[in-house]
Amino acid sequence: MREIVTVQVGSFANFIGSHFWNFQDEMLGLAADPYGDPAFKTQSLNMDVIYRTGETHQGTTTYTPRLLSIDFQGSLGSVSSKGTLYSEGSNEPSEVVTWAGHVSTHASEPQKKNLFLQSLYQEEQDAPLTNGINGEAKDSQHEIQDTDIVNCLDEGVQFWTDFSKVHYHPQSLYEVNGLWMDAKQFDNYGIGRDVFMENLRGEEICDKLRFFIEECDHIQGFQFIVDDSGGFSPLAADFLESVSDEYTNTPVLLYAVRGPSSHMSLSSRKQTVVRDLHDAVSFSRLSSFCKMIVPVGLPSLSRSKTSTFLKIKDENPYHCSAVYAAALHSTSLPFRMEPLGATADLSDVSGAVDVNGFVQMLAGQSRQNMVAILDAAMPGPCLSGKQDKQSLLGNLHPLTPEVAEDVDDLQAVESMIVHGAIGSGGHRLSVSEVKNAIHGVYECATTRPMFCHLSAARCPLPIPLPFPSIFGNLVGQHGELLGSPILGSSSRGSLDVHSIPMAARIRSSRAIMPFLENRLANLRKFGIERGCPGTELLRSWGFGKDELEDMGETLSKMVRTVDPYSDISSDSD
Amino acid sequence: MSLRVLNPNAEVLNKSAALHMNINAAKGLQDVLKTNLGPKGTIKMLVGGAGDIKLTKDGNTLLKEMQIQNPTAIMIARTAVAQDDISGDGTTSTVLFIGELMKQSERYIDEGMHPRVLVDGFEIAKRATLQFLEKFKTPVVMGSEPDKEILKMVARTTLRTKLYEGLADQLTDIVVNAVLCVRKPDEPIDLFMVEIMHMRHKFDVDTRLVEGLVLDHGSRHPDMKRRAENCYILTCNVSLEYEKSEINAGFFYSNAEQREAMVAAERRSVDERVKKIIELKNKVCAGNDSNFVVINQKGIDPPSLHLLQQAGIVALRRAKRRNMERLVLACGGEAVNSVDDLTPACLGWAGLVYEHVLGEDKYTFVENVRHPHSCTILIKGPNDHTIAQIKDAVRDGLRAVKNTIEDEAVILGAGAFEVAARQHLINEVKKTVQGRAQLGVEAFADALLVVPKTLAENSGLDTQDVIIGLTGEHDRGNIVGLNQQTGEPMDPQMEGIFDNYSVKRQIINSGPVIASQLLLVDEVIRAGRNMRKPT
Repeated sequence: MREIVTVQVGSFANFIGSHFWNFQDEMLGLAADPYGDPAFKTQSLNMDVIYRTGETHQGTTTYTPRLLSIDFQGSLGSVSSKGTLYSEGSNEPSEVVTWAGHVSTHASEPQKKNLFLQSLYQEEQDAPLTNGINGEAKDSQHEIQDTDIVNCLDEGVQFWTDFSKVHYHPQSLYEVNGLWMDAKQFDNYGIGRDVFMENLRGEEICDKLRFFIEECDHIQGFQFIVDDSGGFSPLAADFLESVSDEYTNTPVLLYAVRGPSSHMSLSSRKQTVVRDLHDAVSFSRLSSFCKMIVPVGLPSLSRSKTSTFLKIKDENPYHCSAVYAAALHSTSLPFRMEPLGATADLSDVSGAVDVNGFVQMLAGQSRQNMVAILDAAMPGPCLSGKQDKQSLLGNLHPLTPEVAEDVDDLQAVESMIVHGAIGSGGHRLSVSEVKNAIHGVYECATTRPMFCHLSAARCPLPIPLPFPSIFGNLVGQHGELLGSPILGSSSRGSLDVHSIPMAARIRSSRAIMPFLENRLANLRKFGIERGCPGTELLRSWGFGKDELEDMGETLSKMVRTVDPYSDISSDSD
Repeated sequence: MSLRVLNPNAEVLNKSAALHMNINAAKGLQDVLKTNLGPKGTIKMLVGGAGDIKLTKDGNTLLKEMQIQNPTAIMIARTAVAQDDISGDGTTSTVLFIGELMKQSERYIDEGMHPRVLVDGFEIAKRATLQFLEKFKTPVVMGSEPDKEILKMVARTTLRTKLYEGLADQLTDIVVNAVLCVRKPDEPIDLFMVEIMHMRHKFDVDTRLVEGLVLDHGSRHPDMKRRAENCYILTCNVSLEYEKSEINAGFFYSNAEQREAMVAAERRSVDERVKKIIELKNKVCAGNDSNFVVINQKGIDPPSLHLLQQAGIVALRRAKRRNMERLVLACGGEAVNSVDDLTPACLGWAGLVYEHVLGEDKYTFVENVRHPHSCTILIKGPNDHTIAQIKDAVRDGLRAVKNTIEDEAVILGAGAFEVAARQHLINEVKKTVQGRAQLGVEAFADALLVVPKTLAENSGLDTQDVIIGLTGEHDRGNIVGLNQQTGEPMDPQMEGIFDNYSVKRQIINSGPVIASQLLLVDEVIRAGRNMRKPT
């Protein structure tokens, strides 16, 4: 088996992760549900790739994500850092056995569980848990309660655990404590510089990771989701450094994600300089320890073209992370498709590839460009219908910031993932039909990449109950795009939309140029040039002149690989 | 004010307000940690918002758990935590000492004295105290065979402040033996060579010292031996899993045999490495009933595991990096990075290797080794917070023993040093100081008494009585500490209460520095944020 270990670092990364695992849990649930959509009952997607089987002390079998999540102390809200499965039971007598003297108890105000978590725990008490899978309750009595839950989540999600329906292994959760600052201050590279090294944190984190790797028979790669907007970026960079040192030949696929709050416009010039330098330094450090980096996170998701059919509140991380998580879910599908022989039946999936192959294909071939762009169409458009051949490619919009549009790049390499696609008649297309349709699309496209890899699956993206109401009124129950808006409600959520088709694409293209150029220019302007405003600051972050020049050199090399004739890459000497 | 012109939002606290803010923060932190001190202190149970329990009597842990926001408090906390990083103990004492210095200073400052004068007095007093410490310490000759009794007394003193007596006494032997085990003559002691492993199982008193190693994983093959005696140990860092080449290559085959052949070809290089290990095994184990255990830092995939199992070898994969070092120290042999030059000399030896399974957690014990220079303290406890607390205590105990060996000296505990130093400052040093700096010396001397005072307070004794009793006894020429049962003075040497020399020195060094800095602050400026919000 080819296992993947997922690592989530930072608050927004955990928000995305929480949605991501909710999707997985929903898929597991639907596969086990006898009345579920047959598209989910596929043998060809192997969930063991990202899940692990375990056993509690009591002998109960568990099935939990192969995941390490790193976040602030207190960011788990009402969920215990020991997870929910392996706890000894909360009703044990909490007597102190190690001390004969006085005991003083300092209890902080218990975090209230929201409606959703309450209903989860209730459900569990009613029926003994079935491997962490929660089937959807369908009777009408629950329906009322479900609307309350959805509303309550839409209004007040505070922690990423608030909407998580997944059981986590205790080794999966790591809280960074003893920083003595609130999350708002933890916002730049300098502040998190020593966090990994201090207090043996690095060792504890690596031990937790080792727990998951030791049990892998044949690990295919790491999937890192890193919130690189603040102090977690240096923590992640140090962590990645030790990972690449310890597990040299295991490829790392890194998503550098940004929450909506990190794009706030800043008042003073000083703050702008700090942020620009942070972005440059953080990108350059993170990219040096992975095989491929995909920046994700738009400054304003709601106004981007991706959300044509969506209604998103930008300032709400619960909303934004759902979209990014959906795209990440799609891109992770090929890694768990069963690789089939040439003659095997292609009804459910096609285009399996492992992390190494994926990274080689995109970042290794021809140009060695390791910075890729993530595009998504949510929900994916209808594929057959002669009139809109362009609609698929036209519907894929970037989730990566600072990307040029309409770039004609003959050397572009793409990996396209389409799953759950719907045909003109509203029925779900088979994989071979999807393949034909996509070939058709590329045939008549005006700009064609040099190489395109297509992965397709029949199962759409299931929408779990804890999902924000972000669909517009043109989206139907199965994610089909309707001709006329549904009257009554402006935004539709998990109760109205049960699944959606998705298309996502990761491409290595010249369109990434603005992103790279901005970082290089900022680093030069504020950090390297004589008399620039950031020298002092960068020194306090631990970067000397030489290191900065190396960093600048690396960045300009990245620019040159994408565009050998760029002006900005040459003026360093 | 000029700052107002530059930034109208800036908030400025003037002289006395700034000073009092600092003093109050220091006192506040002192109040929180005060009850921790000593064997009669109060253990704190922290219950988090989600019901997570944390038990601690350790100032260091407590500081880390508190979400401190006040900038002054953070500064003090950082000093205290640094104290722990350097010497492994004394966090609580540092915070108490800084707090008390501020409190004593407040008295004088309220009477109109300038902080500068006090700070000068502190500096004089600090130097004098450090000199006095040199005189006061009890030298311990370590040599090649350290005096175990004195080490035990130091360890016991520390452990009894963290755990109840029975368990503390049990752990005393464990930590002393552990440190002596990893100690090598003329080399600094590397405490990382003592592995601390825990099992959520049974009771705290089942905690024990394993001479050898406990690994937190087991073999990944169902048919490998769970228990093996007389084992050769091969410690290696060699990848025994098939890694795909960098270039993408596909398999094309038309029948099953062809596919088998291709897979075999791809795997050949891995298999050859495995075969070399098996060859070595056959060489050393031929004709005797010994076993062979491979402990690898890299991965071992199922086909390799199978080959090894067929050859009767027990194999563990993905060992901790640190354990590679520990294994060699415990079992002998050397860690090999390649299988090309394997000789029997690379192998270590252990009398017994066995696996213990608890739920999904597996533990492998490597025991009965010949000359261990690495060992494992195996902590057991009924639940996670008990284990965590014992773990903290064991760490402190190990550090205390290590410090003693490296300092080659100990300090009489139970407040004896503080009382003696205070009397020395008041009776001798103060007279040699000119002018108002005398008051600084006096404040410093009184602040030293915070340790015996707090000890008395935590035991429910009257602090005044205790201090008078102690100073009186001291002036009669005896060195005395506080008996916390009775409140009477006693001889700490008789009771076997010793503290670390380096810890005390560090406290005396860093406390006044921070206190002086805080006292000399005459303006606090914070631009653009509300400082007076309640914390």
